[in-house]
Order: sequence, then C-alpha cells, then structure tokens
Amino acid sequence: MTSPTDIGAAPQQDGGEGGAPEPFGLGSSPLRSDALPKALGIYPYAADLWAEGLLWGAVLRSPHPHARIRGIDTSAALALPGVHAVVTAADLPPGPDGTPDGAPAGPVVADRPVLAAGVVRHHGEPIAAVAADHPDTARLAVGLIVVDYEPLEAVTDPEQAFTAPALHPDGNLFRHLPLRTGDPDAVGEIVVEGLYQVGRQDPAPLGAEAGLAVPRPDGGVELHLSSTDPHGDRDRTAACLGLEPDRVRLVVTGVPGATTDREDLSFQVTLALLALRTGRPVKMTLTREESFQTHTSRHPALLRYRHHADADGTLVKVEAQILLDGGAYADVSAEALAAATAFSAGPYVCPNVFVDAWAVRTNNPPAGRMRGEGALQACFAYESQLDQLAARVGVDPVEIRRRNAMSTGDPLPTGQAVTCPAPVRALLDAVADEPLPALPVDDPDAEWLLPGGPGGAGDPAAVRRGIGYAVGMVHMLGAEGEDEVSTATVRVSGDHATVICAAVDAGQGFATLARQIVQTVLGVSEVYIAPADSDQSIAGPSARGRHTWVSGGAVERAALMVRHQLLQPIAANFGMSSELLQIADGKITSYDGVLGMPVAEALEGKELWATAQCRPHPTEPLDEAGQGDAFVSISFCAMRAVVDVDIELGAVRVVEMTVAQDVGRALNPRQIEDRIEAGVAQGVGLALLEDLRTEGGVLQNPSLTGYRLPTALDTPEVRIAALLEERDVVAPFGAKAVGAAPAVVAPAAVAAAVRAATGLPVGRLPIRAEDAVTA
Amino acid sequence: MLPASLDEAVDALAAAPAAVPVAGATDLMEAVNAGRLRPAALVGLGRITELRGWRYEDGGTAVLGAGLTHARMDRPDFAALIPALADAARTAGPPQVRNVGTLGGNIVTAAPAGDTLPVLTALEATVTLARAGASREVPVSHLLTGLDPVRPGELLTWVRVPLLHAPQVFLKATGRSGPARATASVALVLDPARRSVRCAVGAVAPVPLRPLEAEAWVAGCIDWDGSREIDPAANAAFGEYVATACVPDNYGAEGAWEAVTEGPTAAAVRLRRTVAVLARRALGRALK
Ligand SMILES: Cc1cc2nc3c(=O)[nH]c(=O)nc-3n(C[C@H](O)[C@H](O)[C@H](O)COP(=O)(O)OP(=O)(O)OC[C@H]3O[C@@H](n4cnc5c(N)ncnc54)[C@H](O)[C@@H]3O)c2cc1C
Repeated sequence: MTSPTDIGAAPQQDGGEGGAPEPFGLGSSPLRSDALPKALGIYPYAADLWAEGLLWGAVLRSPHPHARIRGIDTSAALALPGVHAVVTAADLPPGPDGTPDGAPAGPVVADRPVLAAGVVRHHGEPIAAVAADHPDTARLAVGLIVVDYEPLEAVTDPEQAFTAPALHPDGNLFRHLPLRTGDPDAVGEIVVEGLYQVGRQDPAPLGAEAGLAVPRPDGGVELHLSSTDPHGDRDRTAACLGLEPDRVRLVVTGVPGATTDREDLSFQVTLALLALRTGRPVKMTLTREESFQTHTSRHPALLRYRHHADADGTLVKVEAQILLDGGAYADVSAEALAAATAFSAGPYVCPNVFVDAWAVRTNNPPAGRMRGEGALQACFAYESQLDQLAARVGVDPVEIRRRNAMSTGDPLPTGQAVTCPAPVRALLDAVADEPLPALPVDDPDAEWLLPGGPGGAGDPAAVRRGIGYAVGMVHMLGAEGEDEVSTATVRVSGDHATVICAAVDAGQGFATLARQIVQTVLGVSEVYIAPADSDQSIAGPSARGRHTWVSGGAVERAALMVRHQLLQPIAANFGMSSELLQIADGKITSYDGVLGMPVAEALEGKELWATAQCRPHPTEPLDEAGQGDAFVSISFCAMRAVVDVDIELGAVRVVEMTVAQDVGRALNPRQIEDRIEAGVAQGVGLALLEDLRTEGGVLQNPSLTGYRLPTALDTPEVRIAALLEERDVVAPFGAKAVGAAPAVVAPAAVAAAVRAATGLPVGRLPIRAEDAVTA
Repeated sequence: MLPASLDEAVDALAAAPAAVPVAGATDLMEAVNAGRLRPAALVGLGRITELRGWRYEDGGTAVLGAGLTHARMDRPDFAALIPALADAARTAGPPQVRNVGTLGGNIVTAAPAGDTLPVLTALEATVTLARAGASREVPVSHLLTGLDPVRPGELLTWVRVPLLHAPQVFLKATGRSGPARATASVALVLDPARRSVRCAVGAVAPVPLRPLEAEAWVAGCIDWDGSREIDPAANAAFGEYVATACVPDNYGAEGAWEAVTEGPTAAAVRLRRTVAVLARRALGRALK
C-alpha cells in the first residue's frame, strides 16, 4: 500500500521513480496510467466538460410504462425565458411513411425511438427534450411540457408477452431459439428438476450519463461523451439525425464505469439534436434516477430445468426452457439468448440436450448488455441443478462436476467442438485444493465480521457456514457471424512510440495492455496511447472481452510491421536476417553483440508508421435446431464461495471467494486479478443485493439508496487459486478475455454456499433474507 | 448564515423565518439535490460548539447537544454513558456520513428508519425546542408522532436522556454487511430503579413503537434482585410478544381486508420473525 503522502509526491506517470524498475512489457503488471488520477479524483469525465456559451439539456420522460401519446403541447415550455429549443419526435427525420417515428435505432434491430412517437413502452422513456441557458430552467421547462397520455395496459409479466397484444409493430417475440441434439427419449435413473429466477441487475455505473455536443460549421456535430463504441455510436447517431456519418464526430471522454455499453443512443442523439437546433454547445447530465431509467439492465430470467443422470451422476439429458425478459426494445436480447441457449448445459458433456429459449418484449425497462449476458442466467440454473444432482447421487459437489466436466475437443450442445483449451477439471481442482478460511470457533478471540456487518444484530450462535462451488463459461467476441474487426496504428519516432486505436479503455485496462504490447515488440518503454475518437479507424465496441483479442492483435501486428521496417535495412546492411536482431532498452542489438545501435539513431530522424487489422475466424448463426459454430472462443472459470448465514435473520456475508480462471496467457497478472475482483463484486451484488425492482412496469428503487450496490464490507476476500495459462492457439498472444467469466460464475457459487449453509433450495437471485431463514 | 452561538442562531431564525437550519446536511442536501427542497436561506449550526457536547443535570440526566455527531456518540466515553445510543450511532450510515450527521438532524428528519429514534423512544427522552426569547420541553415521542411538532423558527437544542446505569442494547436488521438503513430495529433498555424494561421497535412504522404490555409482562419475569437472568422460553415469548404487538396483520397489504380474510400477510409474517429475533437477542444481551 502507498501512503497518502506517497501518492501526493508521485508523478502522474506510472510510478517507479528511482525505486524498482518500472514493469515492462507483456507478463508484467504495470500500474494503469489512469489509476492515480482516478484515485485522487482529478481524472476528467464528461460531466466536467465545459464550452463557452453552452446551453443545458434536460429530458421529459414517461411516467407510464405503456401509454398512447395523444398530443404534446410545448408552448408553455418554449415561452419560458431562457429556453432555446424544445424538441420532440417531430423534430427528427420522419419514418418511411413520412410521419414522425422517433428515428428508431438499436445495436441490432432499429426498434427503439430516440424520442417516443405516438406511444411510450417503458417507464422513463424519453418523449421531449429542452435546451436552456441554465440547468434549472431546462428542468423547469420540462415540467411545463404537457403530454396528453392515454394509459394502456402494461405487459410486465414476460410469460404474458406471448399472448398479449403486440406492444410494437415488430411484435413481442424477439427470438425463439430451439436447441435439439441427441435422443429426445433418453432417460436417466435420476431426474432432478428446478425452477430458477434471476432479477434485474443494473450496471449502475458510478458516473451517471453526461455529455457535451458542439455544432460544427459544416452542419455536423461533435459529441464528447463516454461512449464505449465510438464508431457504432457515430453511425447510429448520424442515421437518426439524417446526416452523413462523417458529419458526426464522437470524442471519447473518461468513462466513469461501464460494464460494457454506456450512454444509450437516445441520450446522444437528443444531445446532438439540441446542439444542431440551437447552434450552440449543449451539455446534459442525467440524474441518478434518469440514469437507472435510461440505460439497459441485465435480462431478468426464468429458467425451468430437468436433468437426467445415471446412478453415478453421469449426465444423460438436459431439458430446459429459458425465458428472458428483454423489456420494451430489442437491444441485444437475441444475442443474450444465444449465449443462454448454447451454454444451457454448462461446461459439461451431455449427449442429449433439448432447450427452448425465448426473449420477449414487455413494458419493463429494456435489457441489454452486461458482463456475461445470457451465460450468467444459465450458469445459475445449471449449477443449481448440479448441486441437486450431487445431493441425490450422494457425492460431493466438486466430484459431480469433475465426473461430467468437458475437456478440450468436446462438443457444445450446438454441435460446435470446443477447440480452445477447456481446463474445467483443472480449474475445479485448483479451487477445491485451496485451504479454507478459519472458522470463528477456531479463533474465538479474533473480531469476526458477522452477517449483518459491524455493529449489526449478528449472533454467533445463529451463524452457519456454507461452502459452495460453481464453474461456468462464457464466449468471447461477437457471436453468430458478427464481423469482428479492429484497426490500430503504431508510430515510432525518437525514443518513443504512439498507439492510435479507437478501442475505448472503459476501465478494463486496454490502454495499459496496448502499451505493454508495444514495449514488448519494439523495446521502447515510452508509449503514448492516443485518446479514442471516431475519426480514427474502427475498433468496435468495448464489450465481450473483445479488445484484448482484436485490438490487442491489431496493435501487435502494427508494431511488428514497424519493427520490420526498422530492422530490415539494418539487417540488410550487416548481411544478416532481421530475426537475429533484437530491440531492448531503446537499443538494437545483434545476437552476437557486435551491433548496438540506439533506436533513435537507426530512425535517422524518420518516423515509422504502420496500420494493421485483426479479424478472428468467422462464426455462423445457430440454425433452427440451435446448431452451428457460433463462437470464436470460450473462457472458463471455477469458484468456491464461503459464506456465513445468520439463519434466523437471513443475513448472508460472503467470507471468501476462491477463483481459478482459464486465462490463456496472463498478459498483466495484476490487471487480471483486478478484473476477477470486479467480476466477483458484481456477481456477489447480483447474488445478494442488486435488484432493480418494478411494480407494474414502474421502477421502484432508481436511486443508490434503494438500489443496493455492494460496498467494501459486502465484498469478500478474493483468493486467486490459479490463473491457468494454457494458450489459445488462435488468439493473439494465446490470451483469453478475463472480465466476464468471474461475473458469470460468482452468483451461482454464492447460491450454492447459501444452500449448503441453510439446506434451503435457493431458486432465485438475488437471495432475499427470507430465502435464507431456516427457522 | 453561520451563527457562532445558540443565541445568534435563534435570532437569525427569528429574523428570517423562511430560513432552514442545517447541521451535517446529510439529509438536507439529499432533499435539495433531488429537488424536493429549495431553502430560501440556510442557518448553519456547525459553529455552535456548545451544541456539539453534553453536560449532566442533577437527578441523573444527561443533556445532549443536538450537534453531537454519530461519530462522537460512538466513542467509548459516550458509549459508557448511553450504550444503546452509541450502538445506534455506530450503525447510522457509512463513516463519512457519521462524521458529520448529527443527533438533532436525525430527530428532526424523523425518518422511519432513523436509528437514534427507537433508542430515544425507549429512553423516554425529551427535547428542548428553542426560539428567540422562549423555549419548551417536548417528549421525543410527541415530536415524532406529530402530536407536538417542531414549529417554524424553532431550533432543537438539547436532548434530555435519563442515565440508567444498566445494560441497554440497540439491534438493527439490514440484510447486508455494509452500511444500510434498518428493515427493522429494536432498542431495549433496563431501568433497574423502576424495575422496568423499555423497548421500542424502529423502521416498521412511521414512528418507533412501544410494546407496553410486552414490556410489563417481561419485567415480571426478571429476577431484579438476583442474577437478572431470564428463562430462554420467556425470552423467546417476549420476542414474539413484541413482534405481534408492533407488526399489524395487514403489514404490506394493499388493504386491511386481506388480513381479515386471510390472516397475516406474508410480509407481516416475515417482519414479525425478524422483530422477534431482534427483541429476543436484545433482551438476551441486556441480561447477560
Ligand atoms: C449515505 C447515507 C446513509 C445514511 N444512513 C443512515 C442510517 O443508517 N441511519 C440513520 O438513522 N440515518 C442515516 N442517514 C441519514 C442522516 O445521516 C441522519 O439522519 C443524520 O443524523 C442527519 O443529521 P444531519 O446533521 O446531517 O442533518 P441535516 O441534513 O443537516 O438536517 C436534517 C433536517 O433536520 C433539520 N435540522 C438539523 N438540525 C436541526 C436543529 N438543531 N434544529 C432544528 N432543525 C434541525 C434540518 O433543517 C433538516 O430539515 C444516512 C444518510 C446518508 C446520506
């Protein structure tokens, strides 16, 4: 730990002044360059932006989850002094039939209007927006807009969506995915069944949505916001505004927390529209309540499972019905459903799998991307089933998993062979072999943090300890034929290098990784990472752990090309192959030590540039039987959760989480541990605390008081049992993405541990106090 | 306005009746930020040092300044004096909030889950409300129930608490390990001089509730002159008694008829179980 005085004295570049040499290159753990400024509170975010003469935006949102809009009267708002513009769907380009349709957009299906046109489909849906010279004026004006609503019946139970009247011209079914493999009539001696429910987790980023739009002289607009997909957002924003994409520029500011997607499209298009309409810069920051209303959350899920197994627990057949509540708009529901379906049997070998999965439209808040979407919900269900099976067979939960674990080469139920490393057994053994934390009875003098927290009502006599195991899987990169590509440029001049890549470092540490890659390839220690914006070449979204792979791969290739340009002439000069030259500490040396030339000298004042792309092998959509090679690669993770439960009050404290993860290659061990800790914290939050509740479609707890994020006291010790480094031969560096898998597995592990402590079935997440009371 | 003394503060409020007093601002700023409150002016109480401590009055009473912070009340010297209030202060939010949040602010906000409130109710505390030239003494329960509310221009200055020199406990159920509002809380104090047990249940109703019959019954089960022990079965019965008294059958239901026709709601059953456990544990700890 660094003391506060150390932090104050340290320069803002990565530490190491005079002390130990700074970590260098792949495999080391340099500090992230944004770590200190973030810890010190001086890192700039979009909410800190300012422009001369700016106006403030505010949005009117629907109080109804479902209503027809009969009319909107903006005259009183427009008449308010200080108001410069009021916009509604009528100010957006009209739809194909010439009437306003709110310029619908979406990551896959364009079904979500920027501003509601004629109908609102979820609580908090934006209807109109105001630009005014003061934020209070803007909010006041929003209050003066009169909307004539005709409230309609809200469909909030996803099971009702099938038979309810269509909530949207596209209908209520986002996707039905059947998966059929093997013999439908196969039966096992043992059958276990379960019904599992997962609540609505919200990404609840620490920084709420904020941005600044600046009109450009050419009629375009420049947007400064914390996008995690600058090109996708630029293209969609331009399309909604009826502009050419190159008239819109997206400059990425500091991202104050993102578990994948950030600002919803409506926010950015509205902001841009207000700037274009007024000809002035417009800034908008959402309140916490709006933030909960506007960004997508995790899909609530209902999963019904039946496992057939032999007497020894060998899986015979898995049957499942999976229902995801996609909320009002499609977003990435179809993709989440594919993951839930393909991974429905878990990292196990099972010859017969029969699944029907649906993602449906309701009047609940829209669901979208969140670490391990789809995979997480399935993991909770199949791991709960495995626990039941272990109990029925009478073997240990680790043993039942070992008996069924898949290995490299085994098929998924989709027919795709898992060709990447699948070290499931090794991961399980690694967590199972770790020593367990002490029990209060073994050390009665220590101060125990009981469930309920310090100063809580916890009573040692009512506390039971439980240990649970879970293992799970998640895919990396886009699936089902999505074109995955990233571009990077590397430049070397003098003694330093620059990386230009539009991959947004949303806090996952990509900038640090890019620096390490260039250090390793080019031997220069000083590497500058240019901020991302949409004028650079496309790198794609920061999601699904794809940047380590595609953008890391692109950076490596570009750096190798620069290296070749640098060494080729020298090698030719000395009549040797460039492979015999190496670069280290800013110097080019030959294998025999004859040559020792500083890089700067070899450059002769020139700059070397190279741009490269990385595109993994293509995938294909799942067919009507759920079959197909849909995924580029898969990562696995095993966890052991140790919990203490106050069985009278139902309070649960996660004491420790032990993690073993399949990382391919540990490019930056510390950063991997950070990602695991983040995933565990988020998973524990989902397991015990986080639930964005709705009542008839209306959000009940859209605040940080009502929505309970885990605090330091709720977050367990995380013990890393192993980072298994079995290279994925098709991945750049052999590395697998690490962010999603821990979040996928942690909730299942916590549920298993609570089950072990209480003997109760624990069929829903988050686990409520009443689900953990045994008396 | 930042008055440096109590007199200045009362005068400031008299001069500007629309002004709102502010102590730690942990409740007030939340209301301002959410747009629920737009004070015309603020009278900051932070500089009034006399309100940040306590003194004793003869007859065994402690007079606590409204400006005592939760952090201060959690310190050992205070905890030795009024243990249940220290327990409540210890759990009233995260450290940043407890460092500035005050006793007076907690009382005036009168949130259902205000942690000091059941303790003050069980202690039968009174508060002094001061205005320019006058002050009055009001039982804390009257203030909280709205029987005798704080009037505009009044400042809550002192809280009078009897010193009982006996065990007292505050327990709070939150459903998490990190700081959180109570889903239910129980304050329990022993008053050996009066041979009574006083108990208040917080967070289950708009104001803390006193289960008077349960108090009287359990006081009769305690051997006050001897070891002050209680039979575990009597303790458990006390818990149930308190829970039934404080959580109505229709708790959480839309209308009372549900409870009439179907018995206690599921929410009532759950909350009663929690309150019963808290009350039982509280008495158990007090008599240990
Ligand atoms: C994150 C967070 C967590 C919290 N957790 C808890 C918790 O677990 N338990 C709990 O009980 N509370 C909790 N609170 C609420 C709050 O901290 C307490 O109620 C605190 O005691 C309020 O004191 P204050 O000095 O900050 O009041 P302020 O916010 O300054 O004032 C609150 C109200 O009281 C009035 N007021 C204050 N002092 C006086 C006075 N002397 N005379 C007349 N009127 C006065 C003000 O005008 C205002 O209306 C939490 C708050 C936050 C922000």
